[in-house]
Amino acid sequence: MTRILGENWALPGLDDRNRAFFTSGVLTLQRCQSCSHVQHPPEDLCTSCQGTAFEEFKSAGRGRIESVAVVHHPVHPALADHVPYAIVLVSVADAPGILITGNVVGTAPEAVKIGAEVRVIFEEATDPSDGQVFQIPQWEIVA
Amino acid sequence: MHGASAISGIGESNYYGWGKSPHTEFQLACTAIQRAVEDAGLDLADVDGFVSYTDQRNLPTRLARALGVRELRWVATTWPGGGNSVAAAVQLADAAVSAGYAHNVVVFRAIAQGQYGRFGLPGPAVGGGDGPYMSGPFAWNGTYGVLTPAQQCALRTSRFMHDHGISQEALCDVSLACYANAQRNPRALRYGQPLTREKYHASRWIVTPFHLYDCCPENDGAAACVVTSSERARDLRNRPASIVAAAQGIGPGFGVFTPDDLASSHYRQVAEHLWNDAGMRPEDVDVAQFYENFTGPVLIALCEMGFTSPENVEKFVSDGALVGPDAKLPFNTAGGNLGEAYIHGFELINESVRQIRGESTCQVSGVERALVVGGPGYAPGSALLLGAPA
Repeated sequence: MTRILGENWALPGLDDRNRAFFTSGVLTLQRCQSCSHVQHPPEDLCTSCQGTAFEEFKSAGRGRIESVAVVHHPVHPALADHVPYAIVLVSVADAPGILITGNVVGTAPEAVKIGAEVRVIFEEATDPSDGQVFQIPQWEIVA
Repeated sequence: MHGASAISGIGESNYYGWGKSPHTEFQLACTAIQRAVEDAGLDLADVDGFVSYTDQRNLPTRLARALGVRELRWVATTWPGGGNSVAAAVQLADAAVSAGYAHNVVVFRAIAQGQYGRFGLPGPAVGGGDGPYMSGPFAWNGTYGVLTPAQQCALRTSRFMHDHGISQEALCDVSLACYANAQRNPRALRYGQPLTREKYHASRWIVTPFHLYDCCPENDGAAACVVTSSERARDLRNRPASIVAAAQGIGPGFGVFTPDDLASSHYRQVAEHLWNDAGMRPEDVDVAQFYENFTGPVLIALCEMGFTSPENVEKFVSDGALVGPDAKLPFNTAGGNLGEAYIHGFELINESVRQIRGESTCQVSGVERALVVGGPGYAPGSALLLGAPA
C-alpha cells in the first residue's frame, strides 16, 4: 500500500534501534533478555530491571486506540495535500504498558474513535536515494 | 524558600506580533532586564546572576557585557523543554539567593519567533520536518506526521475529554476568559480584539480538539524579574512579592506517551510538593495564572493542582467563572499566553507580582497569595506561589 501521508513525506532515519520496526514487516518491539519486559520506544536500559541486553519481540499486532486527534493544519508543505489525517496512540494486547504512535488506514479521520480495536498493517516505501525498502507499521480498524 | 527571597522588580519589552518587532531578540531581552532592574530600584552593575529556561539564545556573557554588569556569580538554566519550566527558573533564582550564592538575580525570557521561527516546530537541525529523514527520537512520531506540541497536547486532551465526558465548550471557556481579561490590559496583543463563543467555534481547526483560538499565538517580546533577599527587598523601590514556595515534578514514566500518563498534565507531583511546602491548599489562592500552551491541558492542570476534579472541571470553568477580578477563580488576569502575549509564560510571573502589588489592570481585591502554574503536558512541570510581604 502507498503511504497515507504521501510518497514525499519524510522517512524514518534507520538505526540499530528502529531498523526492524520500520523494515521487517512484523511489529517488532524491544524486549529485555533478563526480565522479558517489552518497552517502546527502545531505550539503552530496561526501565524495569536496568538490564542492557535486548532481543526482538514479534507482536501479533492487535491493539486498541487509546487516543486520537485529527490534524487539519499541515505544519509542513509536504503534508498540505494530505490533511486532514488522524494521529493515534495504540496499545497492543501482547505488550501492555506501551503506546505506539501511528495513523489509521481505511477509515475517514473523523470516524476514528477511542476504544476501536485495530490491527497492524504495513505501508511500503522505498528510499529513492539507496533503494532501501521500508515496511512502516500503520493501523486498520477491525471493530 | 518560604519567604527568604522575593521578586523585587519586574519589566517587559513592548510585545509585538510575529515578525513585527523593530528590535532584535537580544535588544528585547536587554530592554526587559533594564526595566526590571530599574523597577526594583537597583543598578545594572548590582546584578550578579542570570537565570532563564529552555533554549534561551541570549547568553549571560553577552548580556553582562552589553548591560555593564560587573560580575556574575550565578548563571543557570533549566533542561530543554518548553514553558513547563517557567516557574522552575524563578525557583533556581530563589535557591541561589536563599543560599547566598548571589544577591540580585535576574530571571528572564526573550522570544522573537519572527526572527527565529516558531518554537516547537521541528526543523532540519533536530532531524525532523525539513530534512529527508526523521531520525532518532523523531522517527517514532515524525514518520506519522506527529510534529508539534499542539498535536501532542491534542492527544492528551482528546483522551481526557473522552474519559470524563468533557465538551468543546470547556476549552472555549478557557480561551474566552483569557481574551476577556486581555480587553482590560493595554499591553495585551489581543487588547481591542474581543473573542465570542461564535467566533471561537467558527475558527478553523488546527488539530482536533483545538481550534485556532485554543492555541497560543506567535509573537515577539521579552519579560524579566529580579529576585533578591526579602530583607533587601524591603528597602527597594516597590512592594516585593515574597516567594512562598516553588516546585518542580517528574513522575514515573514521564517523557514518552504511556498509558498511565496519557491524559495527564504532569502536575500531580508538583501540586503535592507545592502545597505541602507552603502549608496551603488551592482555596488559599486569591488569583491564579495557568500557562496555556493550549486550552485543553489547562483543564487537566486545574484538576491536578487540586482546584477541581475531572468530573466537575467543565462546570468549574463555565458561565464566566474565570472572567474578571471578581471571578470564582480569578484566572490569567492580564490575558495570559493567549490574550496578553506568548512570552513562554513569563508574562504570568510579572502579572502575579502586579496582583501582589495591587497594580493589575484586572486587580483582585486584597491579594495575599498568587499562583503561577507552568506549561502543562511536558515534564518537569513547575509552579510558583507568591505572597504579600510579611
